[in-house]
Amino acid sequence: MPPLGRFARELRARVWRPSVDEEVRRELDYHLEMLEQDLRGRGMTPEHARLAARAKFGDVARIGDECRDIGERREREMQRSEWFEDGRQDVRYAVRQLRGSPRFASVAILTLAVGLGAVTTIFGIANAILLRPLPFSDPDRLVTMSETTPAGREFAVSEPNYLDWRLRLRRVSAIAAFSGRSPTLRDEGDAERLVAVGGTHTLFGTLGVGPALGRVFTAEEDTPGGDARVAVLSHDLWQRRFGGDTAVLGKSLDLDGLHHQVIGVMPPGFDFPGRAELWVPLAPSERYHRGDRRLQVIGRLAPGATRQQVAAELTGVARELAQEHPADNGGWGTRVAPLAEAYVTPQLRRRIVALLATVALLLVMACVNVASLLLARASTREREMAVRAALGAGRGRIVRQLVVEGLVLSILGAVAGVAAAAVAMPMVRGLGAAEIPRLDEMTLDWRVLGFALIACAVTGVVFGLAPALHLGVTRHAKASRALGVLRSGGRSIDGGRLRSSLIVTSVALAMLLLVCAGLVGGSFMKLMRVELGFSHENVVAASVVLPVARAPADSAAGRYGPAQAAAFYTEVTRRLAAAPNVQAAGAVSAAPFSGDNTSMGFEPGGRTSSRPEDYLNANWRVITPGYFASLRITLLRGRTFTDADRAPTPDVMIINETMARVGWPGGDPLGRRVKLASGRTMSVVGVVRDARYLFVDSLPGPTMYFPHGQFPWATMWLTVRAPGDPAAIADLVRREVAALDANVAVARVQPLSQLVTDSTAEPRLIVLVVTIFASAALVLATIGLYGTVSYTVSRRARELSVRLALGAPPAGVVRDVLGQGVRLTALGVVLGSMAAYASAGALRAILFETSPTDATTFAGIAVLLLVVAAAASGLPALRAAKTDPLIALRSD
Amino acid sequence: MAEPTELLHGTLDALILKTLAWGPRHGYAIAQWIETNSADALRIEQGSLYPALYRLERKRLIEAEWALSETKRQVKVYRLTKAGRARLAVETKQWERFAEGVARILLEPT
Repeated sequence: MPPLGRFARELRARVWRPSVDEEVRRELDYHLEMLEQDLRGRGMTPEHARLAARAKFGDVARIGDECRDIGERREREMQRSEWFEDGRQDVRYAVRQLRGSPRFASVAILTLAVGLGAVTTIFGIANAILLRPLPFSDPDRLVTMSETTPAGREFAVSEPNYLDWRLRLRRVSAIAAFSGRSPTLRDEGDAERLVAVGGTHTLFGTLGVGPALGRVFTAEEDTPGGDARVAVLSHDLWQRRFGGDTAVLGKSLDLDGLHHQVIGVMPPGFDFPGRAELWVPLAPSERYHRGDRRLQVIGRLAPGATRQQVAAELTGVARELAQEHPADNGGWGTRVAPLAEAYVTPQLRRRIVALLATVALLLVMACVNVASLLLARASTREREMAVRAALGAGRGRIVRQLVVEGLVLSILGAVAGVAAAAVAMPMVRGLGAAEIPRLDEMTLDWRVLGFALIACAVTGVVFGLAPALHLGVTRHAKASRALGVLRSGGRSIDGGRLRSSLIVTSVALAMLLLVCAGLVGGSFMKLMRVELGFSHENVVAASVVLPVARAPADSAAGRYGPAQAAAFYTEVTRRLAAAPNVQAAGAVSAAPFSGDNTSMGFEPGGRTSSRPEDYLNANWRVITPGYFASLRITLLRGRTFTDADRAPTPDVMIINETMARVGWPGGDPLGRRVKLASGRTMSVVGVVRDARYLFVDSLPGPTMYFPHGQFPWATMWLTVRAPGDPAAIADLVRREVAALDANVAVARVQPLSQLVTDSTAEPRLIVLVVTIFASAALVLATIGLYGTVSYTVSRRARELSVRLALGAPPAGVVRDVLGQGVRLTALGVVLGSMAAYASAGALRAILFETSPTDATTFAGIAVLLLVVAAAASGLPALRAAKTDPLIALRSD
Repeated sequence: MAEPTELLHGTLDALILKTLAWGPRHGYAIAQWIETNSADALRIEQGSLYPALYRLERKRLIEAEWALSETKRQVKVYRLTKAGRARLAVETKQWERFAEGVARILLEPT
């Protein structure tokens, strides 16, 4: 043994820790040896002593194994608890660090809160609309099936066609048809219009949802001619009208004057096809007109069948039917789409995905900014790190501490962000729930919270690692290098390149985001100013449904045949127009932006023997003579309708500009006779201005107007133009309708502007959200730019002081610093513009009449960012120039 | 003298704790101490001492440290922790109650 003596050996014994294996072996060996010695001391021969010791000790191998087992478990536990202990220390340390620099902490946390809050809110939207499965059994197997017009547009299905599909399709396990109804529920003088659905008895089975109470329709109740006076209630209607009383089963409901027996109640949350409150049997009939298409059809794919197979099979069936019934089905096709698309259109899906991408960018930008702030701090903390390294902290330990600091920051940011999301979500819901499907169910559920948690963890690790990476650059960690850092007073490689690239990235991201926001915002302004072609100010709209007589005998019982319906609307509009303060009153079969639409094929001009396949499609509206005046739709040529345009005078129609252009290019449509797909022929007596009735953001299609005197229509919207309080006008409408027939219900009475505004809810929501992002992005970019640039300048204070002390002109110094900031920003602007230009295609989905490469937007944002950069680098530069060189030199 | 008694299950832990209450010891010394102080009335397989020691160490009732023995060998020396001392008090109480109960029945004059 070397002559170091007892002290060294004892020290070694204290510090030395053998492995568990070694530990057990040594301990047991020692025991056996001592035992042997002891026994030899009592006079045993060595051989005997050895055997006796073993006997006295027991099974050495087994005992050794047992000890090793326990020992290893002990080691693992100790490591784990040490790890936790270290972690707790790191957290405590990180919190202390943040408390020590509250300004840095609040900026970083706020930045993260903005990023995480925004990303959580948008994910909440995506979750509600896109991710949550539809509330039906195995919803992925459900499809919608529709007919397509000869022009290829999706259309409804006729009753005989549906019945034939049902008989012939083999690759669907269930099929059902339904169509909307709006019966008036009368209950002791209190009339209420309900949103109801006439559905086949297979409807509930196809969706895979059973009643919560009672039963649903039987096949017999769903047969034409059967006495199908039964109804199934929604859970909401049951609660609202019957207080959730189970005795409701068997009760009688007065729907449009007919008694229906309540047979069942659906479970809460069951809502098909959207906002339905009541289901009655549809009872589709073979004998209905095959060309009268009103049904929507859903089906469930048979086990093993794909949507494509069903589509192919349906195409075949449609071809057969077209041969069997050429008059009604010639040229018509079919379409099979996932049911989910009926809820979320591909367009809405694209918009939401675009939003998610935008918000992800925002989060990345928040990360980049916090990372560059942390990096700036890491450089000033180099000295601290060097001290820790010199005192024996491993690199892993230091990196871990930095990551923990990042996580602490991101958790604080996430808490603030989720709180912000919790506030923002009800706002978003309130703004868009009425018009955007499924948004009303948006909540901060576990999935959204889980997403926030993951986003927070990833964020924390990512920007926690940035300064750690920087440490990696200055890996040294060897004592000599650390001592060098200590001696030089904390200066070493200052990670300039990494920081510069962070500034450039941050600016590029800001450029990208701001350009997107600018484009979307610009298109929103256009959207708001778009020429609708009609005036919706000071107009009240109200939906009226007359109970329809199925047989002439019915009209005696307060039900309306064609003649009575025409007379009713003529009279009610005449009375309304005569009321004081009312400027004009009319009626139309589908009000603008009410979501209703009707269309039909027509034979374009200049052709004599065109087949139905060559017909063009046009929307059509039945109107009263006062309609154009009530909406101030300008007559361009010819005349408007008068009360004289009623059967049996020759059929006339008025068309819009687009139809005139499309149907008679270069020619004059006035006086032309137009053949419709229904077989009727009528002459054009007038041309009016185009009006956007369906979407604010799409051009109006060809439209024809028919006089209600020749095409009586039972379900009309009244349009009343009157200045002043809309509520008073609404009352007037209700009063006049009731005066004519107390049994007719008026629904959806509202200012027409409301309908228009509702239909812009989706773009409005998107723009609001993008605008919020844009402001956040601008703030983040400014903070990031200012933070890093001003930090760089302060790092250079010593150098600048030397230069100033040596006589450099202050203006030159300022210019130098300013130039650096502006150069980096310019580089970021260029890169960001390139990215924005490249991603222009994705933007097209949410833009309205705005080019995704709009030059003004690009230039404006670039100038804005450069100004911010100049300010962010100029102010600290000026400060540096004003500092007394001596003070700067003495500091540290 | 009768045959040495087999150890009751679980009492070995208490005996080790009691032994260490007199001061730190290595494994062999603990075994010696128990044998001597029970006047050889208790028979333990000396090896079974070690799993018990490892278990107690894992439960942090005792702690160990490597030290040099009288013969200048590196040995693991065990010492009682605070938790171990408390446990010893509990075990002693329990044993008293147990022994008392057994005695009350067995020593009852028949």
